[in-house]
Amino acid sequence: MDALDFATPPRFPFRRSDPREPPGEYAAARATRPILPVTLWNGRRAWLVTRYDDLRSVVTDPRFSGAFAHPDFPSVTKARVVVDKQERAFVGMDNPRHDEYRRMFTREFSTRRMTALRPRIEAIADRLIDGLAAAPQPADLVAHLAVPLPSLVMCDLVGSPYEDHDFIIRCAAGRHGLLQTPAEAEQKARELADYFMRLIRRKEAEPGDDMVTRIIDEHVRPGHLSREDFAEIGAMILRAGHDTTTNMIGLGTLILLQHPEQAAAVRDRPEVVAGAVEELLRYVSPVQFAPRRVALEDVAIGDVVIRKGDGVFALNPAANRDPAAFVDPDRFDVHRDASHHVAFGFGIHQCLGQVLARLELQVVFPMLLRRLPNLRVAARDGEIRFKDDMQIYGVHNLPVTW
Amino acid sequence: MSGPRTFTVRVDVERCIGAGHCVTRAPTIFDQREDGIVILLDAHPPLGELAAAEKAADLCPSQVITIEVAP
Repeated sequence: MDALDFATPPRFPFRRSDPREPPGEYAAARATRPILPVTLWNGRRAWLVTRYDDLRSVVTDPRFSGAFAHPDFPSVTKARVVVDKQERAFVGMDNPRHDEYRRMFTREFSTRRMTALRPRIEAIADRLIDGLAAAPQPADLVAHLAVPLPSLVMCDLVGSPYEDHDFIIRCAAGRHGLLQTPAEAEQKARELADYFMRLIRRKEAEPGDDMVTRIIDEHVRPGHLSREDFAEIGAMILRAGHDTTTNMIGLGTLILLQHPEQAAAVRDRPEVVAGAVEELLRYVSPVQFAPRRVALEDVAIGDVVIRKGDGVFALNPAANRDPAAFVDPDRFDVHRDASHHVAFGFGIHQCLGQVLARLELQVVFPMLLRRLPNLRVAARDGEIRFKDDMQIYGVHNLPVTW
Repeated sequence: MSGPRTFTVRVDVERCIGAGHCVTRAPTIFDQREDGIVILLDAHPPLGELAAAEKAADLCPSQVITIEVAP
């Protein structure tokens, strides 16, 4: 990366030269200027945090705020500013309000409750792989498996009809794109919150065995949580549950198929699976521009002073390739202990649904590789469309044969 | 000279966000309430559990686990 001198703050985000790897600027910055000043779309200065230890200290430091509505909160697009300003879910709140709201939902995503879902997730994955196996070859693994698996699981958990999943995915994509207009992003954010409000009203009339019904009983009826706040939180949960795991399945399968011996270990050795999923999360780090913060006062990190009002991108894809935290970090190795990765973030905003995401991934990869042992990528260079147009990284398609 | 046979674990329940890493890593020391918040099962575990407890403390996203080994 000797072409990078960082003499003037470069424009962020960067382009990936290799679509399977983080931008080369991250490694260059980590080695020479680990807290790198960059220029955003609006000309504002922000700082990239590229080292693992620095990420963990920034996101747990109360001198940095995670309030999306803060006037100086950094964003990668103009459209994202609009939806950040409207964010009313705890993902965009500081404490003490964050914990108050989040704790209403931790029960729904607890280890115990998620583990009980395993047979259901296995049944859904098995049925989707049946469908893939019966499709004409080559078939798109994203359309047959990566998209519908998290969608079906989420619909089951939340209690939303599966027919609505296309709509939910369009809302998530419309809000999480890099190229959409502010008006489009705002509309997609509002449509999903409105959808969730209708779902709340339907469950009030016709209760079910699902998250919406339980939250209504435990928190809305007793008056701890307004319907409006629940609708915003619900929209956040739907988006998060549909979009992120999909990208891990798509890009994760591609990476496994490019490492056949490691894929065989995941297929044949159950004790390898959990560690392999952590390594895939580390290696892919799909939520590529997070966590974000804004400095509430001047903060010195090493020889850099981040000024009050400056934005910070604590980049989990960069921290997850820090050689100080992971030996030989650019090597994909399902046998390493990668469990301290920060692909789910760190601090109070670490992913609420991470137990569910892990479980889905731990189910789907070995099952897919067992059911279709000759699975391989059926795409020439350029036929796989990587999500350079999205805030959550992954692949739009993955043509496979078996 | 005999070393300590146990160590001390403390948790700040008020700041727990229920991510559950501790329960997965050290199930003899930690459990989760129905709502996911941490329960400290054993405040003075045997030294053999130290590595698991330290891993749990390291992974805890809200950093509410403190490990103390008596000198």
